[in-house]
Amino acid sequence: MNGMMNIYKPVRAKLTEVIEESPLIKTFVLIPETEFSFGTGQFIELSVDGIGEAPFTPSSSPHVTDKLEVTVMKTGYVTEYMHNLKPGAFMGIRGPYGRGYPVENFFGKEVIILGGGCGLAPIRSLLYALEHVKDKLDRVVLCYGSKTPADCVYKPLFNRLNSTEKFEAYRTVDKGDDDWDGPVGVATTLLNKVKVKPGNSVAVVCGPPIMMKFGTMKFLEMGYKDEEIYLSMEKNMSCGLGKCGHCMMGKYFVCKDGPVFTYDEIKDTPDIWK
Amino acid sequence: MHYLSINKEEWDKALEQIQLSFTIFAAVENDFGIDYEELNSSNISRIAYNRAKPATPLKTFFLPVKENVTSGQVRNRQRVIMGVPGCDVEGLKLLDEIYLDRDYIDIYYQQHRENTVIISFDCFERQEHCHCTSYGINPWSESADLSVIRVEDMILLRVATEKGNGFANHFSVTREMIDDKTLAVIDEAHKTALSKLSEAVKGLPGFETTGMLLQKAGDEIWARYSSRCVSCGACTTICPTCSCFLLIDKPGFEKIRQMDACQYPGFQRVAGGEDSLFELPRRFRNRYMCKYIWKPGKFSSVACTGCGRCIEACIGKINKNELFMELAK
Repeated sequence: MNGMMNIYKPVRAKLTEVIEESPLIKTFVLIPETEFSFGTGQFIELSVDGIGEAPFTPSSSPHVTDKLEVTVMKTGYVTEYMHNLKPGAFMGIRGPYGRGYPVENFFGKEVIILGGGCGLAPIRSLLYALEHVKDKLDRVVLCYGSKTPADCVYKPLFNRLNSTEKFEAYRTVDKGDDDWDGPVGVATTLLNKVKVKPGNSVAVVCGPPIMMKFGTMKFLEMGYKDEEIYLSMEKNMSCGLGKCGHCMMGKYFVCKDGPVFTYDEIKDTPDIWK
Repeated sequence: MHYLSINKEEWDKALEQIQLSFTIFAAVENDFGIDYEELNSSNISRIAYNRAKPATPLKTFFLPVKENVTSGQVRNRQRVIMGVPGCDVEGLKLLDEIYLDRDYIDIYYQQHRENTVIISFDCFERQEHCHCTSYGINPWSESADLSVIRVEDMILLRVATEKGNGFANHFSVTREMIDDKTLAVIDEAHKTALSKLSEAVKGLPGFETTGMLLQKAGDEIWARYSSRCVSCGACTTICPTCSCFLLIDKPGFEKIRQMDACQYPGFQRVAGGEDSLFELPRRFRNRYMCKYIWKPGKFSSVACTGCGRCIEACIGKINKNELFMELAK
């Protein structure tokens, strides 16, 4: 249409590899047909041709621009189709959309990241971005909880982080198994062991709504200010363009004004934890 | 802005000619009331000049129920919508803010807008649920491209934009109208319309007050008013400012933009199952919070024009104004 940019038209991306992370979670490695880059914490609309589209935050580094990785949990209609795709298939990508993590605001500070379940996908991208600028950061701590040891994705990530200067990573599970000898309990309990430097620290929370809520409460209790807590909100972002209305959260379109908000920005908005 | 005048008989004759080269939708009187019809030589006589609003909201012309927004073709032929009420012209401003947002322009909406001349009729008739004046909107428009006022055997045209001027030029027999007497007649008609409206909506809180009242409203009132709601979505479908949609995927990575409604169950459901609007009273409340608090917090155009169509359309006979009046007590 007159060469004008069509905001609804996806670009095609070739699926080159499918990595099985856990029984329900796969990572798709995609090579878009046109140049594509994103900021960490921004999301894309990923589609299966003729079936449907859903929002995901890429789990790969924003500094790798020739391919991107998207980690998908099988949880509904579209994601089930995604899980059946084989390398060689083409998927559709729109975006990137929204406001991601303002990494430059973290310079000189320590970053405490609380993650749960599939929330580790966007966090992994953030960790890559933080590694890229680690000289400018004080330290980075990851506290991550999964339901069971098997549900934990990117297991090698933890060892790698723990052997990286300025990075620490801790894991917990809600329920252990025979091989598990680490902590048992919800993700927020890991924060009890972390000595933070309030005033020179920011908190990042990403995970299921219930964890977002209790994680935020915990950080407030630890002395964090509302504007020092960064939340990655999950709503039904359908168009990604601030139009379709599905992700409205109070006066915000989560897709365009978020998905990353400080607690300060949304604390007066109703139903944020729902 | 200036006025032109044309004899009614000459106007009708000219319309006969113009409708051959333009697609004109006009508000006409039919067996059920007033609604838009494509103009042809047989319905020119039924044009409902300066009557109350047509049943169909203006948005329908710019956001069709379904539209292929990846490969659909928009006709470049200019079209004219005639008989748009002032309230709908105001409502379109919000849609413009959303769909012509510079960050992400919807080129389909944009083309529909560019190809369309909007001609309003000053509204001298009040329908039962009209309450535009409560929200600071006049029953006539000064931002439509062109406005039409019928005064006895004369058709007066108020020209507001270049587009409106271009269309008026097709009527070769118009005269500049500077007759103070006629202007006074229009002025008087506006005043009468205003007072009729204000008289009828006495006690109805204004737009901002409504927002404040809604914020304080307790669960009980939402539960009570929503108990008659069947989630049919008539209120959102007929609303000139409700514009939420769903993208439907078709083979070839094509997308269909289909109008949607927050009143349908599952509107905000995410794949994991969470749905912040799952409960009916919450969903019902959402529409009012959106119109009176959230959209005003984000956009500068009003999200409720007081057209009253949602009240007329509700099969559960829910009247939002009764709810607001109760809150204002």
